[in-house]
Amino acid sequence: MERNILIVSRDNFLREMVRFALKDLPAAIHCTADAEGAARVADRTQLDCILLLGAAPLLGGGREAAVLRSGGVRRPKLVVVAWQHAEQTVLGLLENGVDQYMTFPVNLQRLYAKVAGIIDTRI
Amino acid sequence: MIDTLYIVYTALAAAAVALLLAGRAAGMLRARRRANDLATLGQRYLRLTMLALEGEDSVPRFPELSRPGARLLLARTLSGVLAATYGLDAGPLRRIVRAYDLDGWLLRRARRARGYDRARYLALLAMLPVAPRTVRQTERYLRSSHRAVAFQALMIRITAQPETALRAMAAYPRAFTAAEVARILAELRRGVLPIAYEPLLRAPQSNLRRVGLGIVREFAVEEAEPYLLRLVAEESSEELACEALHALCSLRRPLDGRGVSERVASMERAGRRALLRRMAREAYGAGALRPLLDASERPYYESLVASYKCALV
Repeated sequence: MERNILIVSRDNFLREMVRFALKDLPAAIHCTADAEGAARVADRTQLDCILLLGAAPLLGGGREAAVLRSGGVRRPKLVVVAWQHAEQTVLGLLENGVDQYMTFPVNLQRLYAKVAGIIDTRI
Repeated sequence: MIDTLYIVYTALAAAAVALLLAGRAAGMLRARRRANDLATLGQRYLRLTMLALEGEDSVPRFPELSRPGARLLLARTLSGVLAATYGLDAGPLRRIVRAYDLDGWLLRRARRARGYDRARYLALLAMLPVAPRTVRQTERYLRSSHRAVAFQALMIRITAQPETALRAMAAYPRAFTAAEVARILAELRRGVLPIAYEPLLRAPQSNLRRVGLGIVREFAVEEAEPYLLRLVAEESSEELACEALHALCSLRRPLDGRGVSERVASMERAGRRALLRRMAREAYGAGALRPLLDASERPYYESLVASYKCALV
């Protein structure tokens, strides 16, 4: 079965950069700019991993995580990469159903390994 | 006769308005098309940069570099990749910068620009792996009367020659703002600078102590508590002593020392209230703070604790 990864970010540059960094993974990579687009992709595709890239310093993906986890289902795995690293922000995101949190600047090889690990465990 | 003149005048005015509107619409369409073209070109540049980072020795050929705005787009692409990542091999990026003379070009643009425009070009230079010659040529901007220009010149020195970063920060004549400390800490997170807080907190220069406090707070260095307590008790700068107090709070360490209570007692009302808000955020109990608070502040702190909503898992 083909695996699917979704990258959600309003920042076109970051989205493209991460998409390119993950291009060698054995998975189809979908991209969208917002949570509503992500929910639409999630409706028609069986996703294995969603990567939320928080672009702005004060927008950390919390709203998107809340939309994607609104049904209470903790699938697929949700990884947020954002600029904030305040403990409260991270706790708030985990509360909203985020599975893993990474901060920018991010090591692209580590991100690759993390996403590869997530989609491998879902085979 | 007058009627004819009136008709001719009206027709000419209408034609002029139509021409102006058409010109404006054409200009807007042209600008939009140019922005779209540049966005597409930016994606191609990003793809070529990422390919270069995959380890190809040759320098990629970036298309349409002679177009207006294309060279700046390439510089922004490289600096954008570097700003959002760490642990990349700088070799390919250095080769690209050298092959296309991006540092020389940005330096020339910075020379011609003024104020924040100059600072923006220097900020791009600070992100790129530039040649030592470029660093030397930007040293004169360290003495600029424009704060942002001088700071970006310092950042170029820090990122290009991290081994001299402490000396450069110590010699910087202005006190760092919180935003400037955050910019320096971003380089720490990228691994450009070492996370060595001890020499910074002990340094005689206030800017170095400021950066040291930033490191302690950013990376929650609990081992730094004795240094923080000493700073709170002995620091001559009121602002830095308050910073050290806030750092202690962010580490959630006890605030029952004599040095702490003396410092809090000497603080102005606004500073004390800011500290209390910080303590409430870090979940200090009102009972534990009794020695620090006077009778009028106790109800204020209790109201802060009662109203604070904490996101708990």
